[in-house]
Amino acid sequence: MLKHIFRSFFTLIFAALVGSVVVFVLLRQLGGDVVTAMLGKEAAPIDVSYLREELGLNQPLIVQYLNWLGDIARGDLGTSYAMKLDVFTEMMRRLGPTAMLTIGGLIVSVPLSLILGTYSAINAKKIRSGFVDVFTTVGIAVPTFWVGLLFALLFGVRLGWLPTGGYIPFTEDPLQSIRSVILPVAALSLGVTSVFTRYVRTAMLDVMNEDFMRSAMARGRTRRGAAIIHGVRNASIPLVTVAALQFGQLIAGAVVVENVFVLPGIGRLIVISTLGREVVVVQSLAMVLMLIILILNFLVDIAYGFLDPRIRDKESVDV
Amino acid sequence: MSDTSTITAHTPEDVSVSRLRKRLRALPITLYLGGTLISLFVFVVLVSFIWTPYPANKLNLANRMAPPGTPGFLLGTDRAGRDVITELMLGARNSLYVSVVSTVVAMFVGTLIGLSIAGSNKMLQRPLTRLVDTGLALPGILTAMVIAAKLGAGNTTATIAIIAWQIPVAARVTIGPARQILALDYVEAAYSYGRKKPYVIRHHVLPNISPLLIVLGSVMFAAAILIEAALAFLGVGVQPPTSSWGRFLNETQSLLEAAPYLMFFPGIAIVLTTLGFNLLGDGLRTALDPQQSRSGLA
Repeated sequence: MLKHIFRSFFTLIFAALVGSVVVFVLLRQLGGDVVTAMLGKEAAPIDVSYLREELGLNQPLIVQYLNWLGDIARGDLGTSYAMKLDVFTEMMRRLGPTAMLTIGGLIVSVPLSLILGTYSAINAKKIRSGFVDVFTTVGIAVPTFWVGLLFALLFGVRLGWLPTGGYIPFTEDPLQSIRSVILPVAALSLGVTSVFTRYVRTAMLDVMNEDFMRSAMARGRTRRGAAIIHGVRNASIPLVTVAALQFGQLIAGAVVVENVFVLPGIGRLIVISTLGREVVVVQSLAMVLMLIILILNFLVDIAYGFLDPRIRDKESVDV
Repeated sequence: MSDTSTITAHTPEDVSVSRLRKRLRALPITLYLGGTLISLFVFVVLVSFIWTPYPANKLNLANRMAPPGTPGFLLGTDRAGRDVITELMLGARNSLYVSVVSTVVAMFVGTLIGLSIAGSNKMLQRPLTRLVDTGLALPGILTAMVIAAKLGAGNTTATIAIIAWQIPVAARVTIGPARQILALDYVEAAYSYGRKKPYVIRHHVLPNISPLLIVLGSVMFAAAILIEAALAFLGVGVQPPTSSWGRFLNETQSLLEAAPYLMFFPGIAIVLTTLGFNLLGDGLRTALDPQQSRSGLA
């Protein structure tokens, strides 16, 4: 087990380093000068040289990279020039809506897809499972932002049940806060649920063919009983990895949904910074979001080893 | 993901007409549905090059926000008085352009990386596969933001972002099946009479995983269309005056109360196209999977 944890940790560090180099090189080398991108071509030379000095662009690339890594490790994510803000403080302030969206998305989509996927697997080859298939096929094809707009139109504008935008912090008014994220979470969950349901279905179909399922049914369990008691537990092992992959999708979805419903989250911040060509802010935000995803993957990897002892030993033999 | 590998045997070319008909009937319905939707999409794009109801970006200021069914404007006009049908046709063009370029490049590079990893020695294989897995876990929107912050918004940004995001997908799907084939006896035999690894990969592995790659391409295409629309919606993708479904939707957002019907058209266009490519992918998967098609033909 220790070996497994060590290996996962090594992967985390390795991936984070590679990722940081990619983000850094993309932002420094792609399409010309950083300062020109930030200030525009007609900037006064004095501003340009001042900003160059402040961002440390006159130093060798490797020194710049190491400085940046050091700053991130200390929690210094730089300053937004247009908004005159410390990026770290701003990010913490905006964590609320993004956290509520992603966690809400997980709370909705995981149980829902477990139910739908299992239902579809138990009833495979019957018309009933066809409805689930149609739902997932359409759900994958529908863009998150369009669903968001449709929900806003139906439940916000037409029925007037829920707000179409804005966010109330949870600490201020929990009930209103939850009301303000219901539509965004619903929009976000549709695609994720559809993808996840397909995985659940495949995993369940695999498990249904296992010997222990046949034994369970031979001992008198119904097909459905066996699936729920033995199947879900066994199928959930491969699903843990998929859930980690889906977390990246949830964050991507949150970026989009925050912009549809005008929620003051991190996703909105990164889009505003991108459109404002705030290279430094985007660089830091992208790195932090990437780290969050990588750390979650690392945790899932370890949980995976605990859940299924076969993984720990298998890895040394196979990839 | 790699478990869905399909290794098809080569089918005999000379099937008689009745068998052909039988085979066509055995093909999954999703294949026909997807094929129809995509043919329609490609047809619309082709037509847009020779004819659109109005010239691109023609502003009909007298007919701004005309509702659907207005004479001369079957689906109405937008806020600036542009004909919706014209906008949709030109948007399809941009959608197809970005998706084709990004899918082709990502498929090529990704498959190359996947094959190289599968063919590399055991020591390198694990860390490299893990790296690809990590790339898979990172959302494409993040890459797009990074690129857009430096390059500025536009089609190039969107295309590069989609490529960067799809490469790990293509690589990951290739690795598993390629490794399976490299472990087969006839590959061993090829080595034993002196074939080198690049030759084996090109002549034995590639033809065997090509059905898989076709399916992959179709699914990647669908994803590319969705991302192109999402980036354009966020304002990071293609800029005016080029028409795009995503940006069209963005513009309708402020008209949610004044002209809610406007948001249906580009949305439905995106859904139908994405659905088409996904269905085609599903259909091809079933049709090209030897196990399933055997039972289907029996």
